[in-house]
Amino acid sequence: MSEHTPDVTVDARGAGCPGPLMDLIGKVKTVDEGTVIELQTTDSGSKDDVPEWLEKAGHELLDIVDQGDYWSIYVRKT
Amino acid sequence: MTGYALVLASGELEKLTAASTIASIAAASDVPVDIFVTMNALTAFEHETVETGSFQTGPVGQAMLESEETEIPLFTEQFRDAKALGPLSLYACTMAMDLMGRTLDDYVDVFDDTLGVAGFLSHAEDKQVVFI
Repeated sequence: MSEHTPDVTVDARGAGCPGPLMDLIGKVKTVDEGTVIELQTTDSGSKDDVPEWLEKAGHELLDIVDQGDYWSIYVRKT
Repeated sequence: MTGYALVLASGELEKLTAASTIASIAAASDVPVDIFVTMNALTAFEHETVETGSFQTGPVGQAMLESEETEIPLFTEQFRDAKALGPLSLYACTMAMDLMGRTLDDYVDVFDDTLGVAGFLSHAEDKQVVFI
């Protein structure tokens, strides 16, 4: 479990690239600054690609948690 | 550089999907993308091709169409979704349309307009051109 409690959860499990990242970007665009988003993904590429995008876009990566059969990526919109 | 100008000339599903994937993330990240669809790539956007899924494919394209575990949206859906999120425009080549006797109504609803070569070059002037 993560110490981060998400304000919103984006369930992108089952979607291949670029689905999870697109879903995250779509959500980031609609929420207020400071909102914590949990992105759930089964796409292993997301683990590297989402942090890459976050750094470029200037949002904060809080944590990546291996949930067994999917990953939770916690993000704070800045 | 102020974005990308993609030329889609191939009807291969893999190339179209690679283009839609990259273009989607770029546009959603507010990087402008203009896409000029020409030659056999245009045929892949026809209603009939999309509805019957009769794309030119290799092994990866087949896997994309058949995979039940991993859902990869069709390139037309990726383009449509990305247009709602960022600066992405698609243009259909008038020459290829004329040759095949097509109008914009024959294609899935993702195109902003038709375009000729001079029009494309003007869109591409300040962008990095990627030919696919």
